[in-house]
Amino acid sequence: MRRQDFLKATGAGLVGLAAAPLGTGSLLRAFSTATEPDAVWVEQGEPVELLTAAMAAYGGMQRFIAPGDVVLVKPNIGFDRTPAQAATTNPDLVAEVIRLVLEAGAKEVKVIDRTANNARRSYARSEIEASAKAVGGKVQHVRDNRFKSIDLPQGKVLKSWPIYRDYLEADKVINLPIAKQHTMSQVTGGLKNLMGVMGGNRGKIHRRFSKKIIDITAAILPTVTIMDAYRILIANGPSGGNLADVRKPRTLIMSTCTVTADCLATGLFDLQPTDLGYLREALKRDINLFDQDNLNLKKISLS
Amino acid sequence: MTLVRWRRGVQLSALLFFVVLFVLARYPYTGALPSDLFLRISPLLPLFSLLDNLSLLWDYWPALIILLLTPFVGRFFCGWLCPLGTTLDAAGHILKAPDNRGPDRWRRLRPVKFAVLIGALLLALFAINIWGFLDPISLLNRVFTAVIYPIGTLAVEGVLLGLSNLPIIGDPAYTVYDWFKILLMPEDQAFVQQGMGVAVFFGIIVGLEKVTKRFWCRYICPAGAWLGLLAQFRLFERVVGDNCTDCSICSQGCKMDAISDENARTTNKVECIECFACAENCPPKWNAITYQWTQRPQHSAIDYSRRHFLQTGLGSFAALGLMRIGLHNTNNTATLIRPPGSLPEPEFLEKCIHCLECVRICQSNGRALQPDGIRNSLLELWAPVSVMRMGYCEYNCNLCGQVCPTEAILPLTLALKQKTPMGLAHFDKDLCIPYAKLEDCLVCEELCPTPDKAIKFESKTTLLPDGTSKQVKYPYVVEKLCIGCGICETKCPIPGRAAIFVTIEGQMRPTPDELPADALTILPVSEPGTKMTA
Repeated sequence: MRRQDFLKATGAGLVGLAAAPLGTGSLLRAFSTATEPDAVWVEQGEPVELLTAAMAAYGGMQRFIAPGDVVLVKPNIGFDRTPAQAATTNPDLVAEVIRLVLEAGAKEVKVIDRTANNARRSYARSEIEASAKAVGGKVQHVRDNRFKSIDLPQGKVLKSWPIYRDYLEADKVINLPIAKQHTMSQVTGGLKNLMGVMGGNRGKIHRRFSKKIIDITAAILPTVTIMDAYRILIANGPSGGNLADVRKPRTLIMSTCTVTADCLATGLFDLQPTDLGYLREALKRDINLFDQDNLNLKKISLS
Repeated sequence: MTLVRWRRGVQLSALLFFVVLFVLARYPYTGALPSDLFLRISPLLPLFSLLDNLSLLWDYWPALIILLLTPFVGRFFCGWLCPLGTTLDAAGHILKAPDNRGPDRWRRLRPVKFAVLIGALLLALFAINIWGFLDPISLLNRVFTAVIYPIGTLAVEGVLLGLSNLPIIGDPAYTVYDWFKILLMPEDQAFVQQGMGVAVFFGIIVGLEKVTKRFWCRYICPAGAWLGLLAQFRLFERVVGDNCTDCSICSQGCKMDAISDENARTTNKVECIECFACAENCPPKWNAITYQWTQRPQHSAIDYSRRHFLQTGLGSFAALGLMRIGLHNTNNTATLIRPPGSLPEPEFLEKCIHCLECVRICQSNGRALQPDGIRNSLLELWAPVSVMRMGYCEYNCNLCGQVCPTEAILPLTLALKQKTPMGLAHFDKDLCIPYAKLEDCLVCEELCPTPDKAIKFESKTTLLPDGTSKQVKYPYVVEKLCIGCGICETKCPIPGRAAIFVTIEGQMRPTPDELPADALTILPVSEPGTKMTA
């Protein structure tokens, strides 16, 4: 089952909706029959415990992964920073996700990010390379010749942008951002993490960021977003580097809707989703799968 | 096995070792096998550092071993170890370098190498380092960094990635490419400025093989001249038996032209590099040549007269003058951003041998360093400089200082390097998007690596041309936090010139005695001495 099909089926379970393009969230919502909550929020645990609890409440990994799937896991490996500095996704969490994906029968799990700092340094220092390899993930560096320009017919500013081919070709994509303060967008999470599969001059996306980021991400939404908030950066993000800026909410947020996960994550920073320009834009364009005002959120505390 | 076969084996192994050290000069780097080891074999290093510091640096122990042995066993370094010599042997073979038959037109150039050496020594007295350009090991390392490796990567990437786009063989090609990346060249394609200049310089040296065998070693190389001076009393001699028929085969074939045409029984020990080809070339029916230890060695005259010395002195004086009267245009030096931990500029240029090992290792990190062109002085040519629009200094990296063979770049600890400003970033508000276009950008702020960001911003209500107003975030640089790493300049998203750029303002150029004792990394190899005897 391909990712796009999966999203449609979860929403409606109707063959007739197969032609519906991504982004018609409201239509999907109307037919929703899922018994699982829209999103899960787990707190007060270690990364692996948080994920175990979230998965149990969300229907398990087999809900997302079919045997034989080629799966791409997209953590944030953007910076040459240690896990304790909270600029990159927690390596234990990444490893556990890969383990569960393989356990669910996936043929192959690729781990990839287009880093901001030197890729080899970032992959190593974040400890993601080592922990992902240890559980059988295929850790890959981005190759410049593997970007493919895709059309963005719904784009307000951008009409096309290059996206990493392995991301487009994967059967399922698991988005593994870390929640961080980010001066321009205020909070970076699931949507912004997808910049790691975008090619071209990404700095250009910063100008009129809210519109451009939604132009692109609306076309490439992942199967599920698992937001690492075990440690978060509350200042000097997204690169961080100062341990005094790190907080430990020991939290994990999971949703099949990236916008929902991002909206929830703003709570960690004492912000409202509407405080963030790009989330306002996302909600305005209706790319969220779930109604934010009537969200079926399951909150779990492990303490 | 004959001596010649042994020699070829050693030559190839030494060249291979040189290449291995070169390839391993990359992230991750532990220093267990120090990449500058081979560079520290250069016999010129102890000589010039002695002149520089009036003390011997134990760091140069590989070279000291060579220097200790040379008086007894001669110029074996040139014949057996020098990777440039081996390269030239191979090139001579391919280019069919002529032998010594015919009227001798080139032997009179022998004094040139002594002039180069003496001239370099005279200039070194006036703190001008010209020998680094001509040091054979440094020279070859420069060629590897700026020419051979980048072209090699280009070829590999071009072929394998090209094939990986094809339908059936695509996947296997990609697998081979992956292995290649893991095992041999993990770095991305290196792009270097001045690659052409380095290539032409090397091309001329190689091309001279068309004139004579080992033209460079015979007539130009200052290391050869230095070893030749030491070698002339060597105790291991070529002995020609009475059955020699003066057939001249040995003198014609000698790649250093070290055997006299008139009397094949004498060897010029200043020139001989002990390749032992003469015994091999001697017709088997005579077999007249052997090599033996002797207690009363002959010595050979050095082809360098008082008159030559006078000429060298005058030439050096003129060169010194020319170097000193160059216009010091500060416009040119504004972006002369040296690697972090570089000595103050005059001392830096005195120590730097332009080997480009720092540029090489930077290619696997932030890719800031490039071989420089000529800004104000010839001496700046091919010294490392940061070109920050194309690369930046990686915050968590201090490897350039670790691999510098002469400590022109001090091996700062990472903590100290992170506090040693290379320069200061400045905004060009005519180009910067928030100032010029009244829209948010902040890419520079996002990527600024200091724990307390050196780029901060002020959010101001801004009146737009259409009469409406909005909040715009205007970035600025906090001088005392900025370390001039240049990632802001590299990643500035506008086309062409960056709207934020680093200049040498505020740069710190430490000297060893200013630094605390624990400020420098001591690598395992530095024993038995330390990196910091200077």
